[in-house]
Amino acid sequence: MKHLQKNIRRVAIFLCALFALLAAWGAYSLLTYGSRWFASSANTFMRTRKKNVIAGDILDRNNVVLATTINGQRVYQDDLNTRRAVVHAVGDSGSNVNNSAESFFASYLYGFNSSFLERLSFALRGEQRRGDTVRLTIDSKLAAYIASIFPSGKAGAVVVMNYQTGEVLTEQSFPTFDPQNITDSVKNDPQKPFFNRAIQGLYTPGSTFKMVTAASVIENYTNYDTLTLNCTGLLTLGNRIITDAGTNLQENKLTTHGNITLKRAFQVSCNNSFAQLALQLGDARLRKTAEDFGFNDNFLFRDLVVENSSYPTTNRTDGEIAWTGAGQSALTASPLHMCMIASAIANDGVMMEPKALLSATAPNGTQRAGLTSKVYRKPLTAEQAAVLKDYMRAVVTGGTGASAAISGTKVCGKTGSAEIDGQEYTNAWFVGFLDESASPYALSIVVENAGGGGSVAAPIARKIFVWMLKNGYIQ
Amino acid sequence: MSDRKKKRAHEPGRNTLLAMMVFFFLAFFLLALKDGKWESFALSVVVPAIIYVGTAGISHLFPSDRLLLSLTNFLCALGVLVLYRLSPSRGMSQALNYGVGVGCMMLCAMLVRYVRSWKWLTGLIMVGSIGLLALPLLIGKETNGAKNWFYIGSYSVQPSEIVKLALLISVSYLLSQRKVILSLLFAGACLLMLMLQKDLGTALLYFGVVFVLLYTATGSVPLLIGGVAGGAAAAVAGYQMFAHVKKRVAIWLNPWADSDGAGYQIVQSLIAIVNGGAWGVGLGLGNAQVIPEYYNDFIFSVILHEFGLVFGLVVLCMYLFIIIRGIMIARRCRTVFHALLATGCASLIALQTFVIIGGNIKLIPLTGVTLPFISYGGTSMLCSLCVIGLLQGVASRNKAGVREDRELAMQGGDTR
Repeated sequence: MKHLQKNIRRVAIFLCALFALLAAWGAYSLLTYGSRWFASSANTFMRTRKKNVIAGDILDRNNVVLATTINGQRVYQDDLNTRRAVVHAVGDSGSNVNNSAESFFASYLYGFNSSFLERLSFALRGEQRRGDTVRLTIDSKLAAYIASIFPSGKAGAVVVMNYQTGEVLTEQSFPTFDPQNITDSVKNDPQKPFFNRAIQGLYTPGSTFKMVTAASVIENYTNYDTLTLNCTGLLTLGNRIITDAGTNLQENKLTTHGNITLKRAFQVSCNNSFAQLALQLGDARLRKTAEDFGFNDNFLFRDLVVENSSYPTTNRTDGEIAWTGAGQSALTASPLHMCMIASAIANDGVMMEPKALLSATAPNGTQRAGLTSKVYRKPLTAEQAAVLKDYMRAVVTGGTGASAAISGTKVCGKTGSAEIDGQEYTNAWFVGFLDESASPYALSIVVENAGGGGSVAAPIARKIFVWMLKNGYIQ
Repeated sequence: MSDRKKKRAHEPGRNTLLAMMVFFFLAFFLLALKDGKWESFALSVVVPAIIYVGTAGISHLFPSDRLLLSLTNFLCALGVLVLYRLSPSRGMSQALNYGVGVGCMMLCAMLVRYVRSWKWLTGLIMVGSIGLLALPLLIGKETNGAKNWFYIGSYSVQPSEIVKLALLISVSYLLSQRKVILSLLFAGACLLMLMLQKDLGTALLYFGVVFVLLYTATGSVPLLIGGVAGGAAAAVAGYQMFAHVKKRVAIWLNPWADSDGAGYQIVQSLIAIVNGGAWGVGLGLGNAQVIPEYYNDFIFSVILHEFGLVFGLVVLCMYLFIIIRGIMIARRCRTVFHALLATGCASLIALQTFVIIGGNIKLIPLTGVTLPFISYGGTSMLCSLCVIGLLQGVASRNKAGVREDRELAMQGGDTR
């Protein structure tokens, strides 16, 4: 009987542990995923809720009204161009855009967080309940300007964020549409205007990924600044051939850079050198650095649903690893994530969590939620970040990103021209920032099927930065 | 005041009875005010009455564990309330199941209290169980990939639920007689029948309970390792053999991949839970009917939706108290058989609760077992209450044992 008693006690501990597991898992999954379940388009409870509660307003960071409710109808910004520019961040009443403010902040907009007393006071006054006013970090004026200069007819995305606080000033996707007038041609457009490329679009980062490869070299080799790389223009690994922009194998024309340093290779974006570096580093070390920057992580940001970026883990042949170093192969990242990588370099190696919510205010004036900046990761030391910043400055002063230069202002950046199968032109990328503590802004630009990053995307970056400096985006 | 009265006032669970009755009276009365139906008014009286009979009435007639009774009655009444609110016809028939179940609970308690020799009864139970389990294979109907039902007239019967009781009694008895091989053979035969019926959720429960009993009786570490390994092997084999298991695992891993199709149930369950928040949307104000099988597999999600997470945690604690109470009864037993039986009953309730709630919150893949006491279904309700009945029987044996000891001590000597 004594043994029996002991065994029964052990069984009891086991059964109690099962229940503890239930409670712990329930709490964990609700805290981490709860807001995402809530914002899901499958949330049918929301529909009934929408009938009973007047949705709160959505404002931009300067209190410009982006969405409001008039006589039970959801109405968006009066100005057509502004309305179209912010539609992916704000959303539309038909929930065509996924994970926009309209759905992701629905718990505020429809007053799900209001207390019993607040509900009671509405009931006693005999009024219909009102949701909270949501103020976004979005800057609608900036968004409208960017929409006016983005190459017309092209698809792509632009993200601008404050690298010190993580506030996202704009996240726009092109082509865009008018939420007040959704026509059949918008619905049937093969370029999918409803799709938010800025946060949901998974692109091949191309040469912008060289920021990560270079970071890995700096982390792993103390002699990174004296390394000599030999670019012969052609590197054959199995069935993969690594060449540089401008190469034409049929005409036997090769782009070669000869013996160059890491900084020079970065400045001219030499694929051959970066392929060699990736092979020297090996897949494991390059992958570690990429994961430090957030690749292969499950992004669970509080304010934004960002598609996960991936560093490939299968089919790792030498050819694939080499191309990964130059930003091709099966790598994918969203424009917002690439902007975060540039932000980390700008912000002394500290990557801030992207923020979209400035505040949520209850109808009676109490503030329900506010902006709290949070560090997401620290992928680099301040010294390593300074080296990369210097490389990115060199890209603009005398490299592929020269057309982003502004005299008197320290613009840093990296261009990319990502090759996509079946596309006539490459995707043009520019990822960069202002190295000015009074104007801590980073941006990321993708223009699909448009050509080289240096010739297409860098001039857009320049225009955006010039406009921001001229319009007082100086703290 | 007499000694007896004083003692009763201090008995655990006495003050809670009134609170429980008021709670359910108010809840049904609220629903009645909303819909104005006479059934709702009737239930606001009938349900507290069943609670009274099931708690105070039984403990008056029969020496039993008062706290265990209170907790059980609360959960059963909660099931009736939630079901009635979502689907009045199901709620009414669940109230009937509850009433009948309380009667069955008494019968089971008396069975354990008064039966002195289990040898022949166990043999009979074993033969009967195998026969019962064979029935759905012969005349059953297939639902949700499993063929574990058959009909008597218009009543559906799920023999695997009834055999749970048989399994508890017979395996406990055989193990107490050190007939390990025979008990394993019997359990194996039952498991095989369930596999043939593709009722894998229940098979998992049977396996868990038999395994716990085996460990309790022998305390053998190799057996522990062997059991875990065997269970894992069976899980892999089940995954490979049955297409619907593969599908369920895929849904569990990522229900959002097909949130309008295969993953719809679990996605809607999770969404219902977050919509409820900490305090729930309120009784009668939710719309959890959008979850398929809301009255059965997903009833806990409905509770979380309408009553909130805090209340859900309280319900979880009630199950935990039932289990702990069961274990306490087991530890006070004087015979190996009764100790094993009580441990088995407690672990059955625990495992079943864990498996279905874990499925609801996406901790483990969803299996079609019911939530004890709450889920809709006559067989399930009856079986869960019978398990409590068995526990009550053991508890009353313990009390009788204590009384005998005291009398012996008062007589001042060993008269046995």
